[in-house]
Amino acid sequence: MELYTNGRTRIAIFATGIFALWAWGAAPLRAQAAGAVLSGTITASGTTVANAKVTAKNNATGQTAEAQTDNAGLYTISNLPPGEYTISATAEGFNEQTANVTIAASPQKLDVSLAAAGAPSLKDLGFSPDQTQGSAQDQARLDKRSHMLKIHQRLGLITAAPLLATVLTANGAAGRKGTASGRDLHATLGSITAGMYFTTAYFSVFAPKVPGTTTRGPIRLHRFLAWIHGPGMILTPALGALAFEQRSKGERIHGIASAHGAVAATTAVAYGLAILSVSVKF
Amino acid sequence: MNRLVLAAVWLIPSLASAEGQWALEQSTLSYHISHPLHQVDGVSHAARGKGSCHAGQCDFLIAAPVKSFDSGDSNRDLHMLQVARGAQFPLVTVRVRLPEDAASSPTIYADLEIEFAGQTAHYKQVAFQHTTQGNTTKISGTIPATLTDFKIDPPSLLAIPVKNEMPVRVEMTWRPM
Repeated sequence: MELYTNGRTRIAIFATGIFALWAWGAAPLRAQAAGAVLSGTITASGTTVANAKVTAKNNATGQTAEAQTDNAGLYTISNLPPGEYTISATAEGFNEQTANVTIAASPQKLDVSLAAAGAPSLKDLGFSPDQTQGSAQDQARLDKRSHMLKIHQRLGLITAAPLLATVLTANGAAGRKGTASGRDLHATLGSITAGMYFTTAYFSVFAPKVPGTTTRGPIRLHRFLAWIHGPGMILTPALGALAFEQRSKGERIHGIASAHGAVAATTAVAYGLAILSVSVKF
Repeated sequence: MNRLVLAAVWLIPSLASAEGQWALEQSTLSYHISHPLHQVDGVSHAARGKGSCHAGQCDFLIAAPVKSFDSGDSNRDLHMLQVARGAQFPLVTVRVRLPEDAASSPTIYADLEIEFAGQTAHYKQVAFQHTTQGNTTKISGTIPATLTDFKIDPPSLLAIPVKNEMPVRVEMTWRPM
């Protein structure tokens, strides 16, 4: 049994193993380098179009890839590197139709509808390229904006619960029946409210802005009210801390701390109105 | 929402005459969306359209920028633009092919092909009323569009989504070129 003791054989086995490991490890890399697959259906007036020519042009490099639809109107273009593409489809008897897509992941689907030759095209309508070409970046900005504002909306509603609880426990903190435990509960709820409030505000303040947008409608009232409950949410805990300290020392609440209740009430009302302003049609 | 979209149709009756072209002179496209707390109407007057008749058939194309729909609330309009993927697919287009004599009765039944939000939807036999006044033809009707036709996730308010139905009212005035 010299099979594994022979020097050449060992080298051959070693080399084969190295090659196998390289091939195994390189396979996913090759798959990535192969690029994405774009497929779809070419139709006209609701029916599929066979033998239509589909071209994908990489807007950055100018490289093109082509495919032809089968009898079912289906096409597939493989090995597309990620990037922005202009897809054009044409067939005998039909106008050429173009579309812009962002190739990011495989597989991707794009259906194209053709118009009969002689039918009006978007060029005939006088739209400029800026009006007809989409932007993946602008869409991504809109997506992020909506995502953050959805969180803002949900957190804002959730925050209303500890806010209400804080208001309801105010009497147990400072009223005639106020107790130390009542103050602790009130302060704890107030702290939770403030924390959630500023987290909620973050998702609105830092949501991407859309250039050229003129603010119209109920959102104007919503934003105006933020200028009331925003500062209120800063002042209320600060005044509350002063009042808490005074009461803990057995003193009557005095000085600026006596404004805690009024500021808190104004803040809570403004906050409630801000929710209603974008929830209910007045 | 978005907004949305849509579109239109055309038609020309008595133009059954010659092979000619038509231009969209005026238009009002409005989508309607329902929510338990809101009834939303987004309106656009920015549609452009053209019709071309040849060999007994008339092809019409109407297109409007998705962002041109105005519901009176900029925040809602931006959200509609987002859910309708309006930045990536900035136009809503409607294609119609009709025989030249289709307008021989006051009601026209048209098959529509609508591209919106990166999707194409077909609507069969949508009814449109038309009247001719002098040199112009007025077309009106409602397209029974839905959000699912265009794979749009229903926007929600207070965790309640809007209804799937999104009828689009179309009012257009066409004139021969």
